[in-house]
Amino acid sequence: MALDNLRDLYQQVILERYKKPRNRGKANPIDRYQKGHNPSCGDTIELTVQLNALGDRIEDVKFEGEGCAIALASADLMADALRGKTTAEALEMVQRFQSMMRGEAEFPQELRKLNVMQGVAQFPVRIKCANLSWHTLKAALESSEAAQPAAVSNE
Amino acid sequence: MTFTQARTLAAQTRADFPILDQEIHGKPLIYLDNAASSQKPLAVLDALQYYYTHDHANVHRGVHTLSSRATDAYEGARDKVAAFVNAASRQEIVYTRNATEAINLVAYAWGNANLKSGDEVILSVMEHHSNLIPWQLLAQRTGAVLKFVQLSETQGFDLEHYKSLLSDRTKLVAIVHVSNTLGCINPVEEIVRLAHQQGARVLIDACQSVPHMPVDVQAIDCDWLVASGHKMCAPTGIGFLYGKLDLLRSMPPFLGGGEMIADVFLDHATYADLPHKFEAGTPAIAEAVGLGAAIDYLNSLGMENIHAYEQELTTHLVQQLQQIPEVRLYGPQGSDRAGLASFTTGAVHPHDLSTILDQAGIAIRAGHHCTQPLHRIVKAQSTARASVYFYNTQAEIDAFIVALREAIEFFGGIFA
Repeated sequence: MALDNLRDLYQQVILERYKKPRNRGKANPIDRYQKGHNPSCGDTIELTVQLNALGDRIEDVKFEGEGCAIALASADLMADALRGKTTAEALEMVQRFQSMMRGEAEFPQELRKLNVMQGVAQFPVRIKCANLSWHTLKAALESSEAAQPAAVSNE
Repeated sequence: MTFTQARTLAAQTRADFPILDQEIHGKPLIYLDNAASSQKPLAVLDALQYYYTHDHANVHRGVHTLSSRATDAYEGARDKVAAFVNAASRQEIVYTRNATEAINLVAYAWGNANLKSGDEVILSVMEHHSNLIPWQLLAQRTGAVLKFVQLSETQGFDLEHYKSLLSDRTKLVAIVHVSNTLGCINPVEEIVRLAHQQGARVLIDACQSVPHMPVDVQAIDCDWLVASGHKMCAPTGIGFLYGKLDLLRSMPPFLGGGEMIADVFLDHATYADLPHKFEAGTPAIAEAVGLGAAIDYLNSLGMENIHAYEQELTTHLVQQLQQIPEVRLYGPQGSDRAGLASFTTGAVHPHDLSTILDQAGIAIRAGHHCTQPLHRIVKAQSTARASVYFYNTQAEIDAFIVALREAIEFFGGIFA
């Protein structure tokens, strides 16, 4: 089988994060909650975000849910990268990640770990999987409530 | 039939499907997503080409020659559909876009006029969303109550539970013939007989049975039966509703417009006779002609032969899957099932599996297959599904199994 192509997509880091995620669970306290859903495949993700006292900086991000290796590794790497970022920076990162999925951008040195997701751009049908957590984060940060019942759809 | 003969059936038809003769990522295409949509033989493609290059005009209205030819081709295809499912009359076959539209037609035209608050509709938990959502909407409009037949211990249709749900409040039973996820073949004749004892009407979703086995609407005695052309070698955009003649006559129109009228005045109209009452607007003429050609093609192979061959393929597929320890197969575990197998593997998410198999040229489906409630019940967020048609070979199944084992190893090996 053409495993070489697959190793671009399923880099070691992605498979490790899928198998042993570091950011599974719930933030405590929960300042933002958002459920994301990919209706075409059924993948779901629940993001919880802890903010600083001013509400403009991310202290912690955790995720729960079910999905493929790409979706879950993307969520886990995202959570690492967001810790300590301002909400404005985080929203910029959402844009940059989505550009990276179109093959139009990558992250600078200090956020280079996110660049392992670049291989997904070569698999257009899987871009949705990688974007799910970022799409969900955007909705979480743009909401002002800690509990938002409606799931955002990644369509 | 033995595999020697069976190979002959696949070998006999393979050249009719040029789309199958290509490489995907440098590997020969192995198409195992037939439950989602089948490929089209040259006979169907040629029929479309011929129709558009020789006979096309609008149907039922022109006096000129092309209109007459188009009408003959369109109505001739209806005769073929009627004979294919053994309808008593050609007027019992209504063309629709697909099975979904056919179900919606019944839900609106019959459901609105016949259901009231407290009436019960029996479905099963294995229904495709197309045989669930129209009834949810109908229940919201009328106050009717939906009841659901649960799965049996073997993940098939629980006939005993069904019997316990039937009562004089039951007005409609709408059940899938072959589950697109579990592959179980449901006892539709018994389902219909029991429902009729309570005076209830029965709709059968035959999307996964009509393409693969002989289906006889008079033997089943169902009130309606629906199917989609694209799963049975025909183009997309064409399907059909079978309905018993008296019942269709009693139903008001679904969509209004041209083609479905007799006399029109500014404030009222009378409607065309069956089946045109339910075919408003210029229909999918070429697609209907394509459906007729597909039926001719299937008949030339013989539905009994197709069914027998697919049963052998299925038995092989199921046995091979069951030998992989990481694989969990859903639906009946024996060979009493249709030619599709939904499964999960421990380590590899269905989406990842589908990507990996695609690199090996193998097309399978990954997801919830439009049966989200069923997936919740069997506690699978999504499944992978391999589904065969008569042009598939045992060798293709073997190649799929090898690739599946490699995929499991690829993922599993990382973590070992």
